[in-house]
Amino acid sequence: MSGTSRDSIELVIPSDPGRISEADDFLETALRSRGVPDAIVSDMAIATTELVNNAIVHGNKRDATKTVILSLQITDSEVVIRVVDQGEGFDPGQVPDPLAQENLLREVGRGIFIARSLMDDVRYERNPGGGMVVIVRKSLNPA
Amino acid sequence: MKLSFHEKNGVVILEPRGKIMGGPDATVLHDKLHDLIAEKKLKVVIDLSEVDWMNSTGLGILISGLTTLRNNQGDLKLASVTEKIQSLLTITKLVTVFEAYDSVDEAITSFGAAARA
Repeated sequence: MSGTSRDSIELVIPSDPGRISEADDFLETALRSRGVPDAIVSDMAIATTELVNNAIVHGNKRDATKTVILSLQITDSEVVIRVVDQGEGFDPGQVPDPLAQENLLREVGRGIFIARSLMDDVRYERNPGGGMVVIVRKSLNPA
Repeated sequence: MKLSFHEKNGVVILEPRGKIMGGPDATVLHDKLHDLIAEKKLKVVIDLSEVDWMNSTGLGILISGLTTLRNNQGDLKLASVTEKIQSLLTITKLVTVFEAYDSVDEAITSFGAAARA
């Protein structure tokens, strides 16, 4: 990773979709207080709420005994976000193409696509301790 | 997100404000759309000028409203779409699904044009 590491912070939220705004508040407050431009903040907020919602609903399957960890690392050149759930894991390649004509009117299924569209890199890994980790990167110096 | 609404020329104009990201706030918009359908108020415009951003949950709510209204011979149109949301509609190809107008008045007028067509 390029740039000098400045800081890393973390939020743990329960698997309740009603708590999604806590992830947004956490992220936006952290990024704005560090002078990240508004356009990048909103893109990151959209992508992060997608991934946290997926972790709660599809990863942890709304199990109140499980949590989602959202961590944020900000350097001079980029923001790296990790979303960790405690679920069984899934293959993001199996998600139906939301741009296919037959899927355009589906009410769900766009979250990963939107996150990939807005971020520079979105990577899924199996967490050694169980569950999935999604690692998202966004440059603070867009070309 | 906060939601206000009013009616003009037989068209209901919904005015969400803030962010549409899921959770209890977004349920308010979903429930309002479906309440309108139950009340047979089937011409709806959503004024998006005060929406900071939305994620896929917000898009899903718009699609739910659109399909339910059209299935009941109504329609949902968008007005004053911000650059951020326009970008989302474009990358998801939902620009091909929704009718969008530069202003609320133009969206309202379009219902009359459709009725005359």
